[in-house]
This record gives sequence, C-alpha cells and structure tokens, in this order.
Amino acid sequence: MNAEAIIAVEALRKSYDKVEAVKGIDFQVRAGEVFGILGPNGAGKTTTVEILEGLRPRSGGEARVLGYDPERQKQQLKDRIGVCLQATNLPAKIRAQEALDLFGSFYSRSISSEKLLKRLQLWEKRNAYYETLSGGQKQRLALALSLVNDPQLLFLDEPTTGLDPQIRLEIHGLIEELKAEVRTVVLTTHYIEEAERLCDRVAIMDEGRIVAMGTPRELQQKSREQSRIQIVTATPLDPNQLPQWPDAMQTTVDGDGRSLTVYSARPARTLFEIMKWLDQKGMQLEDVHLKKPTLEDVFVELTGKKLRD
Amino acid sequence: MLRVQEDFVEENAPGGLERSDKNKSMKTYLSLIAIDLKLAARQRIVIFFNYLFPLIVFFIFAAVFRARQDPAAMTYVLTMSVSLGVLGNGLFGAGIRTLQERELNILRRYKVTPITPVPILVASMITGWCIFIPYILLVICLAHFIYHMPWPAQFGSLLVFITIGLIAFRAIGLVIASVANTMQEGTILVQLCYFPMLFLSGATVPAEFFPRIVQIISNFIPATYLVFGMRGIMLRQQGLADDWRSVVALVITALVGLTVGTKLFRWEKEEKIRKSAKLWIAAVLLPFLLLGGYQALTGHNVIRPGIFGK
Repeated sequence: MNAEAIIAVEALRKSYDKVEAVKGIDFQVRAGEVFGILGPNGAGKTTTVEILEGLRPRSGGEARVLGYDPERQKQQLKDRIGVCLQATNLPAKIRAQEALDLFGSFYSRSISSEKLLKRLQLWEKRNAYYETLSGGQKQRLALALSLVNDPQLLFLDEPTTGLDPQIRLEIHGLIEELKAEVRTVVLTTHYIEEAERLCDRVAIMDEGRIVAMGTPRELQQKSREQSRIQIVTATPLDPNQLPQWPDAMQTTVDGDGRSLTVYSARPARTLFEIMKWLDQKGMQLEDVHLKKPTLEDVFVELTGKKLRD
Repeated sequence: MLRVQEDFVEENAPGGLERSDKNKSMKTYLSLIAIDLKLAARQRIVIFFNYLFPLIVFFIFAAVFRARQDPAAMTYVLTMSVSLGVLGNGLFGAGIRTLQERELNILRRYKVTPITPVPILVASMITGWCIFIPYILLVICLAHFIYHMPWPAQFGSLLVFITIGLIAFRAIGLVIASVANTMQEGTILVQLCYFPMLFLSGATVPAEFFPRIVQIISNFIPATYLVFGMRGIMLRQQGLADDWRSVVALVITALVGLTVGTKLFRWEKEEKIRKSAKLWIAAVLLPFLLLGGYQALTGHNVIRPGIFGK
C-alpha cells in the first residue's frame, strides 16, 4: 500500500438488486494527482465515485478516503471534500453569491464567496438569478460550490459534458490550476482529450471492472495498435515501386499518388527509413504527420466498444 | 486493512475560515432560513397561495355571510380564511416544494455537503411560520377595522394554536413528499388530503349544515380540529387547555410527521421508496383517526353549533 495514497479502494463492489454495477475494483489515488476514471455510460464510474463521496453504501470491499470510511464517517468526509456532480441544480431564484454563501455555511471551513466568484469569472454575475445564467456559467458556479470549503480532494463527475469547446477549455484551465495548487482531483469523463490532457493517471472502466490503469502514456504504449505515418510528397509515388520498410505493417498510396500512409509498431525507425528512401530517390517532402494510438484506441482494443457507446 | 495518508488535510490545508461545530450549526440554520425567506418572497406562487388566495376567500366569504352586519359571522369567516391558508401553506408550501426540489435535483446538490435533513426541515417549518404569521395579523386587522370584529380576547392562545396547526400540516406535507416517488404521485396524494380537508372540515362550507353521517366523517379529518379549535378560541374565548384533545392531536401529528419526514427524507428522485411506505401517512393521521373513532363511539361531536347552527 502506498503511503502517499489519500484514496484507497480494495475489492469494491456495488449491486443494485440483481445488477452488479461495480465488480470488485482496486485502486489508489495519490496526494496531488489528477486521477481520471474513463468509461462509457453504465461502466460503473459514477457509482464508484459516489461510493467514495459517501453518497451510496457499498455492497462489499473496502474504501478509505482521507482516512475516513465513506460509509460510516460520511459527514466528516463530506466536510473535507469538494464535489461537482454530473446532474444537479439550484433554486431558480437564488443569486450566484447567495448560493456560495449558503453552501459555505454548511462546512466547518469556508472561503469567501467574493474570492471564488472572481476566480471563476462570475463576479459580474454575482447578483444574477441562477435561472438566468448560461450553461457554462452554471457549470462554473457548480465548480465554485465544490471549492467553497477549500477542499484538498475534489471529485469532478463529467464536469464538461454538454458544454461548448470554449467553456470546456476554460474548465480544463481551472483543473490545471487546481493541480498546480497540489489539490487531488478525481475526474470522471468520457472525453478522451480531457483525460489525456489533464490526468496523471487513468483507470479505464468497463462493465463494472477496471480493464486498464496507468499514465496516459503507459496505456498508449501498452496498445497493440500501430502508429500512423502520413507523408505528402511534391511528386506522385509509384505504388508498385515502394520498398518494404522495417516494421511497416500496411502501406497505401492515396488520391493523386502524393499521399503515403504507413502503419508501424515502431514508428521512429520506420519514419527514418522512409526519409532515407525519399532522399535517395531525390523526392521533395511537403508534409509529414505521425499519429500515435490514443486512449480511445486503447479503450476500443480492450473493450471492443467506443467510449460514448 | 487499508491505510491512507490521514494527516494530509491538516498539514496541507491552506487558509480558510474555520468554524466550531456550534457556530457552524447555527450559521447553517440561519443561512437556510434567510435563503428560504428570500426565495419565498421572489416567487409569485408563494405570495399568491399564502396571501392573495386566502384574502380573496376572506372578502368573498365576508360578503356571502354578511359579515358587516354581524361581527360573529366575521369571526367565522376569519377562521375559514386562516384554515385555508394553513392547509395551503402546509400541504403545498412544504409538501409540493420539497417534491419539486427533489425532482429538479436541487436536494442532490445539498446531499454532497455535510448537512443532514434536520436543518432543512426545521428551516422549512420556521420559514412557513414567518411567511404565514403576517397574513394572520393582516386578516385580524382587516376584520377589526373593516368588519368591526372585536380583537381576539385569547390572542396568545390563538397564535400558539395556529402555530401548532401550521407545524402539524407542514409535517403532513413533508411526509407526503417523503413517501411519494414522483411529482405526479405527490400531487395526487396532496390533492387527496387537501380537498376532503377543504370541504369536509368546515373550512369552506359551514359544517353545521352537513348531514349527520358527513359530520361523523368530518370528525376524522385533521382540519376539522384546526377550524373548530380556532373557533372555540375566538367565539367562546377558550384557552388551549379547554380544547386539549385537538391540541394534543395536532402536537402528536407534528412530532410524528417531523420524525417520519426526517427518517424517510430522500435527496434524489432515483432513490425510490416502497409503495407500502405510503402507510406512514396513516401513521401521521393516526391521532385524528383515534379522535374521530372516540367521537363516533361516545356520540360526541367536535362540530358544535356556531352562529349558523343557532
């Protein structure tokens, strides 16, 4: 067991009647890391997180969060953590600042609503009713509420789902700020780019089980998927005269014959050989792209499903 | 055994305002009451059901019962109007509002905080009372200055009795909200309680006009004890002790209702409750079922002749 872990989960299970939503999972989250839980709808990620937040009892296994048992010491735990739920609402006629002041009063520690409103760029909207805020402003307010007790551990459940790209980028920036402040963040998402950009480690869940866990880079490296090398030349290539480059699995020439696509398990070596061959042939290079397997590729490979299934 | 870094929070917590448990608890209650009052004042429907609707009923009944010519008739009208307000405030104000907040995922946001149902329910009770008391003072003033009704001799008893009634009916509303799984189900349950109480308690139609069998049925309805308890205080200058059975029944209902409401409180619409849980409504109404049974067996009747009976 890692001494730095502030969340530790062992053989965690959760059943609803005859349906087993979480089937004995183990993981730890270290202080100061952003830990992502990736999975399609129904994978069990929200159930897992809600057990750790003290919102649902577990059916089996053990869980400790900040030293507390989330089932038996839920009030103490809730006082220490920040939670941004997937689907939540506030009264239509509550003002943004009133909401922060109200929720701040529930905790034994709170930071000023003014500071939070300014940080989340909601100061101008402090007197606006909740019903008049845009989707992005409501989500920023939800994040401000999750920070109202100055928590060291935050659970963000799909915080950017349904938001436009601009707002998503703003929220990504905020999560990066939280990470810089050495706060621990547990982030559930089904956006691959979010996990790749923000998470130090990722657990991929499917049908109640963790099917892979590690840093995004480690997971990508585990993939049997090949990298794709795409090259555009100034003059057309003759598909019948292409050599067999080392480690190249599949080679195609598209369109007008100037676009070459090669799949390789060892892209650096293959790319070097292609460049050498082009140079020997005296051909001009116009463009080159190398695309590594993404977490999505890893996920599809492990589960046979797409993340947004 | 799982071990985690337990001292992390204490060591690394950056600056923030720390509160003792007592201060936190007090601040939670005060904040909830303050926000509930603000939200109520911003909602037209709350103003309508707590002030306008009972006031409209007040003036209509005053005209129908020719209250200008008879101050006693005005007392009658006043109890009708206040009873309607108590029923609306309790069943709709507490019951339907709690259901709405659960359906809209508002209570789900509260669930992730360290708060328990108790401050939410207590704040709801106090807010309901704060909203309703000005209405009582308003109609008593209107009754006195426009219709020449004498000031109530037992004003303290009247306020205490109405307060107990208000808490009891808000508790019934909260229990309905707790046992209903959907808004639709909750609305049906509220209507099933509201309309019999409206028409069979004497709150709208003078109960002295009811046939004997309806009067017996009326003895089983909680609102009957509210209406006639108020009339006893205003018309016969009774104190709380004179109508102790009604007072005790309302107090038991309030206590049982609050306990059941807290026990069965649900934060999320996904948390369904068994259909058999609806029997808790009967448990809350049990004091009145017993009182009604007692009245029927002994041949007593809570409905005593008022001015119309005479």
